[in-house]
Amino acid sequence: MSNTGIGAPVRRKEDFRFITGQGRYTDDIERPGQTHAYFLRSPHAHATIKKLDVSAALATPGVVGVLTGDDLAKDGVGGLICGWMIHSKDGSPMKAGAHPALAQGKVRYVGDHVAVVIAETLAIAKDAAEKIAVDYETLAPVVDMNAATGKGAAVIHDVAPDNRVYDWHLGDKTATDAAFAKAKHVTKLDLVNNRLVPNPMETRAAIGEYDAGNDAFTLYTTSQNPHVARLVLSAFIGIAPEHKLRVIAPDVGGGFGSKIFIYAEETVCVWAAKKVGRPVKWTSDRTEAFLSDAHGRDHLTHAELALDDKGKMLAMRVHTKANLGAYLSTFSSCVPTYLYAPLLSGQYDIPAIYCEVEGIYTNTAPVDAYRGAGRPEATFVVERLVEVAAREIGQDPAAFRRKNFIRKFPHQTPVIMAYDVGDYAASLDKALDLIDYKGLGRRKRDSARKGKLRGLGFSAYIEACGIAPSAAVGSLGAGVGLWESAEVRGNPVGTVEVLTGSHSHGQGHETTFAQLVSDRLGISIDQVAIVHGDTDKVQFGMGTYGSRSGAVGMSAIAKALDKVIAKGKKVAAYALEASEGDIEFKDGRFSVAGTDKSLAFGEVALQAYIAHKFSGQELEPGLKEGAFYDPTNFTFPSGVHVCEVEIDPETGVTKIDRWVAVDDFGVVINPMIVEGQVHGGIAQGVGQALLEGAHYDASGQLVTASYMDYCMPRADDLPSFRVDHTTTPCPSNPLGIKGCGEAGAIAAPPAVINAITDALGHEDVAMPATPQAVWRAAQKAARLAAAE
Amino acid sequence: MTTVTMTVNGKSVTANVDPRTLLAQFVREHLRLTGTHVGCDTSQCGACVVHVDGRAVKSCTTLAVSCDGAAVTTIEGLANGAELHPMQAAFREHHGLQCGFCTPGMIMAAVDIVNRKGHVLDEHTIREELEGNICRCTGYHNIVKAVEAGARAMAPGAAAIAAE
Amino acid sequence: MAMTMNGEAVLPAPRETVWAKLNDPEVLKACIPGCQSLDMASPTEFAAVAKVKVGPVSATFKGRVQLLDLDPPNGYRIQGEGEGGVAGFAKGGAKVRLEDVPEGTKLVYDVEAQIGGKLAQLGGRLINGVAKKMADEFFGNFAKAVNPENAGV
Repeated sequence: MSNTGIGAPVRRKEDFRFITGQGRYTDDIERPGQTHAYFLRSPHAHATIKKLDVSAALATPGVVGVLTGDDLAKDGVGGLICGWMIHSKDGSPMKAGAHPALAQGKVRYVGDHVAVVIAETLAIAKDAAEKIAVDYETLAPVVDMNAATGKGAAVIHDVAPDNRVYDWHLGDKTATDAAFAKAKHVTKLDLVNNRLVPNPMETRAAIGEYDAGNDAFTLYTTSQNPHVARLVLSAFIGIAPEHKLRVIAPDVGGGFGSKIFIYAEETVCVWAAKKVGRPVKWTSDRTEAFLSDAHGRDHLTHAELALDDKGKMLAMRVHTKANLGAYLSTFSSCVPTYLYAPLLSGQYDIPAIYCEVEGIYTNTAPVDAYRGAGRPEATFVVERLVEVAAREIGQDPAAFRRKNFIRKFPHQTPVIMAYDVGDYAASLDKALDLIDYKGLGRRKRDSARKGKLRGLGFSAYIEACGIAPSAAVGSLGAGVGLWESAEVRGNPVGTVEVLTGSHSHGQGHETTFAQLVSDRLGISIDQVAIVHGDTDKVQFGMGTYGSRSGAVGMSAIAKALDKVIAKGKKVAAYALEASEGDIEFKDGRFSVAGTDKSLAFGEVALQAYIAHKFSGQELEPGLKEGAFYDPTNFTFPSGVHVCEVEIDPETGVTKIDRWVAVDDFGVVINPMIVEGQVHGGIAQGVGQALLEGAHYDASGQLVTASYMDYCMPRADDLPSFRVDHTTTPCPSNPLGIKGCGEAGAIAAPPAVINAITDALGHEDVAMPATPQAVWRAAQKAARLAAAE
Repeated sequence: MTTVTMTVNGKSVTANVDPRTLLAQFVREHLRLTGTHVGCDTSQCGACVVHVDGRAVKSCTTLAVSCDGAAVTTIEGLANGAELHPMQAAFREHHGLQCGFCTPGMIMAAVDIVNRKGHVLDEHTIREELEGNICRCTGYHNIVKAVEAGARAMAPGAAAIAAE
Repeated sequence: MAMTMNGEAVLPAPRETVWAKLNDPEVLKACIPGCQSLDMASPTEFAAVAKVKVGPVSATFKGRVQLLDLDPPNGYRIQGEGEGGVAGFAKGGAKVRLEDVPEGTKLVYDVEAQIGGKLAQLGGRLINGVAKKMADEFFGNFAKAVNPENAGV
């Protein structure tokens, strides 16, 4: 291992600009002649627009344009799309209601886009928006998922008269029912997976620009996948053909899923730039972000686990209602279906699983992927069920898990996935050791002496990452392929540029991708530049989400590097006057086997470009290669997280005293960065478990729409984490990488709730387990204890 | 419009501003110092922290005119040319940042903590003192380590020792 | 989001006077905090403009106010709704009942209101306090208005 190669904790190349205030985020960009957009949003959850009069706003000095849904329709601009087709049990396609970027006759959630005011300054635009007269006729708001599908509920989209997007299922119902029929013990749970707002610290922003001379558009935007944005804006929304639309995602301040999607605001900014003939900039304020960023989670689930007389799992049965909000966001439909149900086997050998999912419209913001996307929801179901089952049959939760672990690989689960490799017991053993499981009893007694309640919770998670083989996802309804592309450009001086379709918004690709190049080409990482986030530079790419940039994005780079090395060997053969078959490449040098003749990578690069030693008929000059990598399977990172809490029953405050994470991510490129990803994921998972919850009141008003009311995890809410690894290299990609970006967020919530319920002695604790909720649960625990 | 004069990162600046202009807007839009970020508008997240007369201030809820005559330091004014401030160096060394958006405010707040609490900071103190700054990426684990190390490196003589 | 509030105020005037003042748009205009105009469309319908500040959100509401269930001089229901532009909307009503008491007239009120948009998102936690303050202000003003010593109001 070199000091900058694979496995080295290299300090990040990108940090200098961030720590000196020289990052360049979308809102930092100022285009000549730029105007400012302000969106008038619906204050009503559900209403028809009887009249919309923008004339007074338009007449305001400094206003350059006011646009509405009618203008979109006149220009033939298409609606926002959902790119994954889900079919219901009965074979019917999901019911996708129209989703115009600006409302056309009806608003469906508070924050829905009614009109846009474009002005010389943001202040003028805001003041002018006050003058827009909207005559709303309010309709009954549909907020509660259970009520949404009931009789008499108002209809949100005419195409879905019962407000059901789909009624989907996966697995073998007959086999599952049969297994339940002969079960010795059945554990049943009702679970709420609380609604979250992703909250990257940089809010969304967009600048649309139109070049009339070339009839071409540029969009600067906060995107995790600029090429997908261009594809959707071009092929579906119809802003411009792809070669006339450049999408640039510069430094992006976190995404966590919420910046995957193609939203109304960027669509409007790029379209409006041509309408007003000047660049149009929009930056979300935090409350707008709460209202209009796609939210995450929001499931109601009933789950059952069947056991035999020895505590062996026989079957699992799950019914989930998934809130999809008022419109189907870009990938919303697949999150509670194909990213959820196939994970219900967890790390366990469960012969039969059957899962039903109802996707439901409500008058709330659209719900889509948020860090983990479906897999945290699945893991919460599995790990709560397993924990409660162990407690009910009086088995140690660690031993119960170990007994049911999958041990032979590959393993075909009853829900699509074929796990390739893993060693779940190894992670559990290490975690038990690191948390000092044996000392738990003593620690509980120590806490009890102080009047505190101590509890420990496990979460043995698995995730399916590196999404995913294009043919596989295509067969499941995906509208795109999920490969990744890379191009490696060797320069004549021996430096290298890597153009990648992955996008970095905190993951440190500029460092880790350079480490791969350094490792393969034997050059310093300072000689390598990673180029991403610009559709004019990178040919195509699918972007960054689903912990795929390492497993898929870097595999594409590895493939391109192999081609560069192969080309380099040809060049070296001419330059060294040897046969190509005798050229070896090692530690950055091309050498003739068995001789001392060799050339450094940079020297061969120069030869490739000056092309003095070979003719164009024999070999093309240059040293540039591209590759597309399509994975052959999902990757399956797994691990065990253990959370130990101490609760003050007087105040309900839960203090996380210890956290141990033992993850198997396969091969790790940069352990420092990987650990950082785990820390951040755990923090978001703890946030879900203890603090965060997006709440709509009965009238559909979002009452948690700022950091005054939505509780984000802060430094003093969290402990330091003990993070460790086990390693089984991933067999399905050339680098052995599984992916690490979502693990913490997937693992953490059940670990926390299992710890709290262990401390309290009953299972009646929902997320977020705020001090108020835990205090109430502690009161109940005391009542139960007194009744015994 | 109102005239406001202040010293920003050692340079005197005078500008005619709308009286409702916030300090964050002033440094970002008038001075084009875009290292100061706005993350929440309600002074909860701390991405906008700058120093006004040596004290940490949330610039998203401070009026520019209220800083008339003040000395303001933004993240751009922290390093000494190419030489990083010890707190900046500590954030890089300890991987105290990921997406980088909260980082300028986090570093400015951290320097302020050291100015108020000294060079030896325990984890508990650092976590409590960072209460006004939100990071969504790091889980704070490495930020805490960075602040602890940065604080030590800011002690008089620490840099000289490190350089030896 | 919904808000409810109730209370009572004892006014130093006979019931008939209180009733008359409750139906006098000029008096209502003077007493409603932030009311900029109250124009009569009919004896029981007014178009109103009021400026209201809830925490960080301040807005000018334009709306309609209606008097319903009139039961002179015992009480009525006052109902209104207003759009505050980008600040959101407010709608609601109050039942008002008058009773004779030795000190004059007791006015009992029962308010139910809904707010939406930015008001709910940013001002939600403050709305009850603001509503209480506005009610106090209204009845403070109204007490002055019905006091015979201030006959000019």
